Amino acid sequence: MENKKENDEKPPFFSSWSRIYMVVLGFLGLLIILFYWLTLAVR
Amino acid sequence: MSSLDWLVLSSTLIFIVSYGVWRTRGSKDISGYLKGDNTMKWGTVGLSVMATQASAITFLSTPGQAYESGMDFVQNYFGLPLALIIVAAVFIPIFYRLKVYTAYEYLENRFDHRTRILGALLFLVQRGLAAGITIYAPAIVLSTMLGWNLTFTILVVGILVIIYTVSGGTRAVSLTQKYQMGVIMLGMVIAFILILQKMPEGVGLGSMVSLAGNMGKMEVVDFSLDFSKRYTFWSGITGGLFLALSYFGTDQSQVSRYIGASSITESRMGLMFNAIFKIPMQFFILLTGVMVFMFYQFEKPPVFFKQVAMEQGLSGPYAEEMRAANEAHDQNFILKKEALEQLLQARASEDPVAMAEARDLVDQRLAEHKAIRTEVKDLLVKTDDRIEVKDSDYVFLTFVLNYLPAGFIGLLLAVILSAAMSSTSSELNALASTSMVDFYKRWFYPDASPKHYLTVSKLLTAGWGVLAITFALLAYMAENLIEMVNIVGSLFYGTILGIFIVGFFIKYIRGIAVFWAALLAEALVITLHFLTVYEIFVLSYLWYNVIGCALVIVFGFIFQFLKTEKQLS
Repeated sequence: MENKKENDEKPPFFSSWSRIYMVVLGFLGLLIILFYWLTLAVR
Repeated sequence: MSSLDWLVLSSTLIFIVSYGVWRTRGSKDISGYLKGDNTMKWGTVGLSVMATQASAITFLSTPGQAYESGMDFVQNYFGLPLALIIVAAVFIPIFYRLKVYTAYEYLENRFDHRTRILGALLFLVQRGLAAGITIYAPAIVLSTMLGWNLTFTILVVGILVIIYTVSGGTRAVSLTQKYQMGVIMLGMVIAFILILQKMPEGVGLGSMVSLAGNMGKMEVVDFSLDFSKRYTFWSGITGGLFLALSYFGTDQSQVSRYIGASSITESRMGLMFNAIFKIPMQFFILLTGVMVFMFYQFEKPPVFFKQVAMEQGLSGPYAEEMRAANEAHDQNFILKKEALEQLLQARASEDPVAMAEARDLVDQRLAEHKAIRTEVKDLLVKTDDRIEVKDSDYVFLTFVLNYLPAGFIGLLLAVILSAAMSSTSSELNALASTSMVDFYKRWFYPDASPKHYLTVSKLLTAGWGVLAITFALLAYMAENLIEMVNIVGSLFYGTILGIFIVGFFIKYIRGIAVFWAALLAEALVITLHFLTVYEIFVLSYLWYNVIGCALVIVFGFIFQFLKTEKQLS
């Protein structure tokens, strides 16, 4: 029960953990696109 | 080094160590000493996790690596955010529910004592070796370049770390790492700004990045499916994922950083902090290396950055050839600089024909430069085959010592020593936790008093510290020791991760099956490594992690199936 409560504990931002994970994945995707653009732009 | 540099360096280190000792005195039991009484907030956890991973060699080697081969190393970290999400979502709740001190306690809970011993033992061997190298690697570079006594450098770094890690345990490690990361980031940002200020008049960051791209140094992402290439998008996102999952989820030096947080939320947030900031930080360090490369296109670099080896070559039997190569290098520098200035002018005039011509010329000069460096390295090996011809670790420090103003050199040396101390302190703390909890308390004295465990934990921390120093002092005797330790790490990580993956996700497989599966998988990974060493085929070491992990799962299924069939019959 205590563990269930801990797992359900909300993060300080974005109201749920799955949203935080999506933000992190989105940021990773953005970085990869940005890096690829940089690779092509200055080649 | 000026007296101002010495003042900055010594006061930074002494302040961090004294503050760490003073703020974290008075642990009463191993809960406080090994887990910090679960009081840490996510900011501290996040910086502590980051500081543990960033060793001194990160700040010496990474800019040098970018100088040599560009930005592609950043792809190695693409799997890291995915791994941290898996650790946050799956590993952390289980570690908290079981209230473990070490990751290997979980293995006994899920499988049996054999698997716990196997996991803990693999960690102690691998991390025990690595702790010595964490101290030795920067010490050898600093002593070679600054003329510091190697033994003295190793002893100072080692003893300072032992003082605060023994005194304050895990809280001292985390607290000091916060300030060490502050010094590291401040130092690197200042170095980057100073490099840009030293570029030729009227050439800004944008032009330099663009020129670096023209010179092949800005290949950040490579989507090619070439398995022999060390860093591609695919090896980073898969091999990097498995490596990071194993490191953050099963290596006690990282696990102890986040299980000391005050709650699951603080622990997870600390990891998410790293999932966001680690790649930009690595990109920034690599970009610093690329900017040092660009700086040396306009200021003459040494033909070989390890000056001691160069002097040896110039006084050896091939001195004449070395001098000729040095003169060719000087001539090449002038021609290369002219070609680059021609390229800059062509870019300014936006003339595509002139730009193509100038780029061809730059490529030609770069190829000549590479050939001269290869010749110098060959001559050095002919002079003395014990000379290490990889000089990339010396690139950044050569720039710092020759071009940064007084005071900033001390700050950058504080960056390197802070990084060495931060990762070593985590390692000592984790080694002590594992030997105390998984061996001493589990097998020898399960019912001793809290005071007894605390005293033994401190003695174990000091003992591992002395062992790390001893190993660092003996490291010069083994030629390829650093490489060996790195290989040992990547050989074991996949297998350890496989055990944990089976534990978390595959309930069907039980203790005896996973134990034998792990031993067989490890034997096959080692065989694979030797096939690579003897060039029977080529495979990047990142793939060992994927293969080791997959083999444990496959063999685990087979052994469990055979065992179940046998029982049924």
